[in-house]
Amino acid sequence: MKLKSGLSYHVNIALALSVIPLLTVLLWPEKARALETRTSGTAGITEEEALKRGERIYREGILPSGKPLTAFVQGDIPVSGKTFACVSCHLRSGMGSFEGGVVTPPTNGATLFRPPKMFYKGLEVKSLPTRRPAYTDASLAAALRFGIDPSGRIMSEIMPRYQMQDKDMELLIFYLKVLSANFSPGLSDSTFHLATVVAEDVEAEYRNAMLGPLEDYVRRRNNAAARRASYPPPGSSEATDVSSMRLSLSVWLLKGPPGTWRSQLEEYHRKEPVFALVGGMTKKEWRPIHMFSEENRIPCILPVADFPVISETDWYTLYFSKGFYQEGEGAALYLNTIEEALKDKAIVQIVRESPEGRALSAGFEETWEGMGHGKPVTVALPQGEALTGGLLQKVADRENPFALIIWDNSEAAPAIGSMLDWKNRPGMIIVSSGYLGKGMWALKDEVRDFTYITYPFRLPESEERYTGIVKSSLGIDKDPGDTTAISKKAYSIIRVLNDALLGINGQYYRDNLLDAIDMGRGSAGMGTVVQDETYPLYERFSFGPGQRYSSKGCYIVTLSKGPKPQLIKKSDWVIH
Amino acid sequence: MSAYRLATLMIFLLLHGLFFFGRVAQAETREKYKRTTENYFVPDVTLVNQNGARVKLHSLLNSKKVVMVDFIFTTCSTICPVLSANFANFQKRMGAEAGNIQLISISIDPENDTSKKLKEYLKRYDAKPGWDFLTGSRTDIEKVIKALDAYTPDKMSHLPLALLYSPSGKRWVRIYGLIGTGDLITEYGKML
Repeated sequence: MKLKSGLSYHVNIALALSVIPLLTVLLWPEKARALETRTSGTAGITEEEALKRGERIYREGILPSGKPLTAFVQGDIPVSGKTFACVSCHLRSGMGSFEGGVVTPPTNGATLFRPPKMFYKGLEVKSLPTRRPAYTDASLAAALRFGIDPSGRIMSEIMPRYQMQDKDMELLIFYLKVLSANFSPGLSDSTFHLATVVAEDVEAEYRNAMLGPLEDYVRRRNNAAARRASYPPPGSSEATDVSSMRLSLSVWLLKGPPGTWRSQLEEYHRKEPVFALVGGMTKKEWRPIHMFSEENRIPCILPVADFPVISETDWYTLYFSKGFYQEGEGAALYLNTIEEALKDKAIVQIVRESPEGRALSAGFEETWEGMGHGKPVTVALPQGEALTGGLLQKVADRENPFALIIWDNSEAAPAIGSMLDWKNRPGMIIVSSGYLGKGMWALKDEVRDFTYITYPFRLPESEERYTGIVKSSLGIDKDPGDTTAISKKAYSIIRVLNDALLGINGQYYRDNLLDAIDMGRGSAGMGTVVQDETYPLYERFSFGPGQRYSSKGCYIVTLSKGPKPQLIKKSDWVIH
Repeated sequence: MSAYRLATLMIFLLLHGLFFFGRVAQAETREKYKRTTENYFVPDVTLVNQNGARVKLHSLLNSKKVVMVDFIFTTCSTICPVLSANFANFQKRMGAEAGNIQLISISIDPENDTSKKLKEYLKRYDAKPGWDFLTGSRTDIEKVIKALDAYTPDKMSHLPLALLYSPSGKRWVRIYGLIGTGDLITEYGKML
């Protein structure tokens, strides 16, 4: 619900008339009570089902009938729940938002049904008159239908005036009463309980590169919180006391095959409920942990995962990027910009039967076909079978492709080198820097002009200064070597977590943690162009409402010739 | 109902009615949005539309139709849905006349807004032909939004803007503030 705006004449007439039923209700308390206790919307269904239906109205704008909500905004614009569900502005936690100059106040259970606290310079002032009385079911229904709050104030016209039947209204109000009504689990004795999930397939060196900085951050933060608790600065209040909260960080080590991970996670969580998962690492697919987070509604902030779940709608895990999938996506987007690739010639991908190969080819195929192109020809390369020049040539002779994409590891480099002698060599070879790994630097000079490499990071010469920033910030004095990227990710996890904890602003709901990140709360300018470019590894690292993959780009590069090749950009960071 | 209760209700309604109509009169005199006439020089960059097609911006601006431009992004939660619902309703209310108007939405979050996402977004708003949604490289997008004085460094604090352009008169009208469709139709009428 939004306040302060102009009124159109017709809307005012309608509003003035619409107050009649509201007044009727207010003047006859027995009638008001009857409305509050009526159960036509929730009658005959379980509480769980009623909440599910109410949540669907709130989040998706869909009524139990399956039809979308209907409403008016700005006086005369008819809108549907498909585009104007409550969640759009009031957010998943119900804590409201500030966007484009529009203030959307909280509508969670803990806020709506009591008069709002009044603050002055961060301090609660009990002597100030309250902005509005507590909502009742009846006054909340009036707010949703007519845009009038219990003090009689007309809300901004940007707040939709929903046309809802009583039974649907009851479901929505029933849901609002429990939405962020109590602080989330994982909070006790002024301590946020956090956990990091690490699978035993990760070598100790890599695990420590992430856990070390995280544990150090927790230690430093708790020391500061202890000092603050001993000497609270003047003016500290509910709105600022997050810096007095302690953190605890547990390590949840997953053992055995991924099929058993879910039950291990549930057991860890049963013993020690956590507010959020932070970081985390496995070389395998993140899916079991992703599903645990999703189904238990526990935020998971930036796991180090090459195989994240690719989803446009899942909510609880915020990833660095789409991992290998993103490189496949980048290859497809790049090919789509090349006119010759769009003619009738075939696009062929040779795919190693491995998690990397599957993720890369899925990213390529789904993006390529999503842009309206035909299915690429795919040749599977079984595990254990070496890629040879002979096989490449056989495929190329048969398909005569414009582009031959090779999703394979470093052992593919010699086979690519053999193409020099071919008469009908494809116009373009595409490989993945992530999968080819060190093999990338072994590509022969002569093939470098036509071998295009997906590179989902900032280029090395520009990245150098970020390495220095991370080392100094994390207190790393030696060259971190192979674990550099992990240290950089740890640095980003800490920055995002720290900002998000500030951004939740004393409202300790798990959903509010993600809302804070989505809306860029908690830091000076997080989500701005300038801030987005200050994170290591990625050219830009940005968030936004519902965006779950922070880095969205991938360069296409070639190698310069010589023993110390440079990467030559062939594309923008984000390819359109 | 007792006579006393009835009388109380009547007095209440009368007072409330007076209060509301007083507010109406007050609101009518208040400026609902800020309207200015501007001279903008827009660079002829190539952007990408919802179908993945490369489009020269000048080809859209100079199509002899009145042009309306706004700046939105597909995951925006508050003001973009209002701007977009207004464009959709405008197309609907203009009926056949909508064919003479070119609506252009420009993404201010080109990192995230792929042509596929733009297409899905327009579909969600039941957009008709004549409403194009453009994305592109950050450099090109920034050139355009700076030229049209719509730049904010943070996408979450972007502006509730609609710009109207008449290719015949080569003039721009800038509407600052969220408006209803009636107002948009009035402003369109002034461009003819």
